Amino acid sequence: MLLFLWIAAALLGGFLWAPLVPALGESTRVLYFHIPSAWVMSVAFGWSFLHSVLYLMRRRIGHDDQAAAAAELGILFCIGAAVSGALWAKAKWGTYWNWDPRETTIFFLFLVYGAYLALRSAIEGEEKRARLSAVYSAIAFVTVPFLIFVVPRLYATLHPSPILPQAGERGSIDPPIVVCFTAMLLGFTALFFWITSLRVRLVRLERRRERSEAAA
Amino acid sequence: MSAAAVAVGTLAVEARGLEHLYTGRRGLPAVSFALEAPGVAAVTGANGSGKSTLLRLLAGLLRPTAGRALVTVAGREVPPAARRAVLGFVSPELAFYEEFSCAENLAFVAEARGLRERRTAALAALDRVGLGARAGDRVAALSSGMRQRLRLAFAVLHRPPLLLLDEPGSHLDEEGRRLVERIVEEESRAGLVVIATNETRESGLAARRIELRGRGLGHPA
Amino acid sequence: MPHDGSSSVAAVWAILRKECRSEWRTRYGLNAALLFAVTTLTGVSFAVGRLPDRTDLLAALLWVVLLFAALASLAHAFVREVEGHTLTLLRLVASPTAIALGKLLFNLLFLAVLEAVTVPLFLLLMGGPPVRWGPFLLILGLGSVALAVTTTLVGAVVSQARGRGALFAAVSLPLLMVVLAAGVSGLRAQWDGNPIGAEARILLAYIAVVLGASVLLYDHLWED
Repeated sequence: MLLFLWIAAALLGGFLWAPLVPALGESTRVLYFHIPSAWVMSVAFGWSFLHSVLYLMRRRIGHDDQAAAAAELGILFCIGAAVSGALWAKAKWGTYWNWDPRETTIFFLFLVYGAYLALRSAIEGEEKRARLSAVYSAIAFVTVPFLIFVVPRLYATLHPSPILPQAGERGSIDPPIVVCFTAMLLGFTALFFWITSLRVRLVRLERRRERSEAAA
Repeated sequence: MSAAAVAVGTLAVEARGLEHLYTGRRGLPAVSFALEAPGVAAVTGANGSGKSTLLRLLAGLLRPTAGRALVTVAGREVPPAARRAVLGFVSPELAFYEEFSCAENLAFVAEARGLRERRTAALAALDRVGLGARAGDRVAALSSGMRQRLRLAFAVLHRPPLLLLDEPGSHLDEEGRRLVERIVEEESRAGLVVIATNETRESGLAARRIELRGRGLGHPA
Repeated sequence: MPHDGSSSVAAVWAILRKECRSEWRTRYGLNAALLFAVTTLTGVSFAVGRLPDRTDLLAALLWVVLLFAALASLAHAFVREVEGHTLTLLRLVASPTAIALGKLLFNLLFLAVLEAVTVPLFLLLMGGPPVRWGPFLLILGLGSVALAVTTTLVGAVVSQARGRGALFAAVSLPLLMVVLAAGVSGLRAQWDGNPIGAEARILLAYIAVVLGASVLLYDHLWED
């Protein structure tokens, strides 16, 4: 409950209170959604990868639950980031999708984790599914830096560089923007962890129900 | 590593609370025992009580969900990843490459295991199980009885100190079963043989019995 | 983990030879892949004709044809073992790493044969500016190694799932986008007369990273 109020407040603040960044005009607003989405997407995938590796090392099914839940949410935030990015692109440059390197990267991340979920649904047996999807998650994660950092360097980019300037350029970003932005960032992150924990709890309950049914 | 190379009595197999249980699957409830070479042990129990699972756990093919299986040689542990070198394994679902001949299959095995004189070893093993005449025949052309003999040849090819035999007599005629008895007798002079079986003829070969009283099929917990 | 180094090498070599011999006996894998590649190539050639100066299209088309042929055939090294139930046999004579590396080397050889037929045919049919053989072969070679390294691991994973054919392509493709991007860029650059250093380094780094990670992951592939 508190979380939703928090996010709502940050959103409202972003729309009504904070001024606009000169270069971007009205479309500044998208900052509050697009970047936090993309950020959480990265957090989600990192979390998923971490638990995949932990599963392989420790073989506790709880890790696999976390990895799967995080990947599912990661995809949602990925879609959110892509859609908000497309809306912004339309406003700014006139087209929704351009195969700009950043857009391409997000799309391929979506494919990678879509593949992860497709793989999971194709394997029977809890242990086998956990183990094999962890292996795939691990190898997918090591290729991600290439997708994010390397591929864009091969092609010129239309995507703006970091919107928030470095510390040396103090004064060019108004505090209210930073406040709302940071609030959204934190709010989204908290949202992610909360929903993930709900999802994991759901999976655990289902498993317990299956076990008691099997024993009956 | 051949049975002769390992001094008599230095190979030991131990299970400590060894268990393999997953939701909704037949498995092996916790079991503990200790065995030592030389000798023969039999693992018995109803269908589904986990005999095959136990052998696969000992072979390092399966990872236990609890407890551990310990194979030691001269007091030092052989980790699961290295067990394949010291053991021979026979089980009903062990399959060979249909497009290769018996000799080619065993020569491949010998090569992968790092044995010298692969052809010789392969042919010797085939002779031992009575498949000498069929060495050049493709596996696809073998009957189920002959395939079982090939499995036995595979298991003893590298003269391992530990033999894990899951239903070694299946598909075999009377002569084949006597072959199994011969092999068990020969190998158990220096090494350890563990047989998983429900046949009294086979379990009767053993000095030691491990009875599995798992849930089995249609048995209440 | 005490490993008998020499027998691991022996195992890899034994598996490679076995794969080659098996492929030679049955030959359906290589035949299917060649047929697929040539058919695709023919279709492309019909549709597009000769491209004397479109280096971007040439590079892209060559990689697409190779990629598709690879995805259609490289999984079968593992699928054959699963369907023949010979995995238990393999696991009893060789470590998971040896098995995977043996298959990897075989896949590389397979790709080399596939490319030896497909690439000259492509150049013949599609035209294009003269090839700078050094850079061309370097990019092709590195790209192929990257392809093989990725598809070997993915193939091992997918061979244990249901719906193997389509799933293998769907699961490999996102990972291979890096290879495709660098490969296309590299081939195009050598046709345009530009340096290929960046692309070659990317491919090399990719190979190192994926192979390194794979070696750590191979042990977890088969525990049934």
